[in-house]
Amino acid sequence: MLDELDRWAARRAPELLARAEAEAVEDLKRALLKAALRREAQARREPVRPAAAERPAAAEARPGPPLHEPAAASAGDGLWAYCITRASDPPRIDGVHGSTVERVESDGLAVLVGRVPLSEFGEDGLRRNLNDLDWLERVARDHEAVLERALAGGTIVPLRICTIFTDEEGAAAMLTERRSALDTALDVLDGREEWGVKLTVDRAALEAAARDRAPDDLDQQLEGQSAGGAYMLRRRQERQLREAADRLAGGLAEDVHARLQDWATDAVVNSPQNPELSGHEGDMLLNAAYLVEAAKVERLHELVEELRERHSELGARIELTGPWPPYNFVPRTESALA
Amino acid sequence: MEGSYLPSGRSAGLPGRPTESTNLADILERVLDKGIVIAGDIQINLLDIELLTIKLRLLIASVDRAREMGINWWETDPSLQSAEGDNGDREELEKENRELRERLERLEQRVGLEQGREEPSRAG
Repeated sequence: MLDELDRWAARRAPELLARAEAEAVEDLKRALLKAALRREAQARREPVRPAAAERPAAAEARPGPPLHEPAAASAGDGLWAYCITRASDPPRIDGVHGSTVERVESDGLAVLVGRVPLSEFGEDGLRRNLNDLDWLERVARDHEAVLERALAGGTIVPLRICTIFTDEEGAAAMLTERRSALDTALDVLDGREEWGVKLTVDRAALEAAARDRAPDDLDQQLEGQSAGGAYMLRRRQERQLREAADRLAGGLAEDVHARLQDWATDAVVNSPQNPELSGHEGDMLLNAAYLVEAAKVERLHELVEELRERHSELGARIELTGPWPPYNFVPRTESALA
Repeated sequence: MEGSYLPSGRSAGLPGRPTESTNLADILERVLDKGIVIAGDIQINLLDIELLTIKLRLLIASVDRAREMGINWWETDPSLQSAEGDNGDREELEKENRELRERLERLEQRVGLEQGREEPSRAG
């Protein structure tokens, strides 16, 4: 027959191990991330591209001698595609930093494009540049800025960055080939807006709330306990507090998302953002996007305000951003477009 | 469209003004990961892009997410491995974790023994 000690050990061992492992993984994660960020920062400090500061933004890059490429690598221009609209939508939008955004039309659809040097945006260039955070940030912001402008003029289907055609014919052929899927996507998005919602909370506030809600009978329980027994009780209570805080966090995220999802046309939940990049404080419990009828956007603001009030006790912060180009609500794979 | 909530200065109406102040994380998670995917004429293997941008993805998502995607470049990336202090940090962490675990086990054992004192001794 197993004695008490063996049973106790058998019961506790997996949990202890799991907890120690989880803690180790957390620590390791932080260390790795720190290392990755440090490398990123170092790479950015390296003066490999002396002309970088004066270099115009990517979307306005003009043909000409590439700044950090051997001249032989230059292969002319390509067309960077931003988004797809209906050909009937306003014909002109301003580019970024005075650059020109052109339209290629076919079959009642239009794709907005900008000229980019293939030395920088060809396969080799992209392979190198995509790993350069400064480069990527510039390109991403330019892409976003053009999309926001286009969005103001009508319904758009955003393209993922780095969709590049060699010429107008290639872009037009794409429109013809994907005509029906693109039409469907535009129809789905008509009269609707993408809004982003992020929910963050401070761990300390959650644990404080959990403590307030927990029965405070530790003293009673500690009475008559040996030192060892008291130690175990305290540990158990700490664990229960952590678990209660986790449950509060889960309930909070679920409540906010459920309310908004019920009400939105469509919803997408994304991974929490990395605080090193987003600069947010506390734990991000929810990072979601909602597709909302344009007519109901005012109600969305009210709803978010209600949720803020309802959860203010837990120190919850709810950030609402938009309207975004509807990146989160378009087909994302080639096969979905076929 | 009533008032823009993008903290971008979009409503300032400066023509051609890029969205300088919009949270970079918000933009990157969208332009890198979302939006319709169409193969352009420049044949970029999308898988390649996934791999090439993994370091940037790390900035957006978590290491866990990268792992889920089957990516573990840091485990073989020599420049990261040899980067100042990284190995040290990691070894230190592992060592500290091991020590803590051992200490915890010793403590638990002692507590267990104390609690089990009134129990009959082990049957063996």
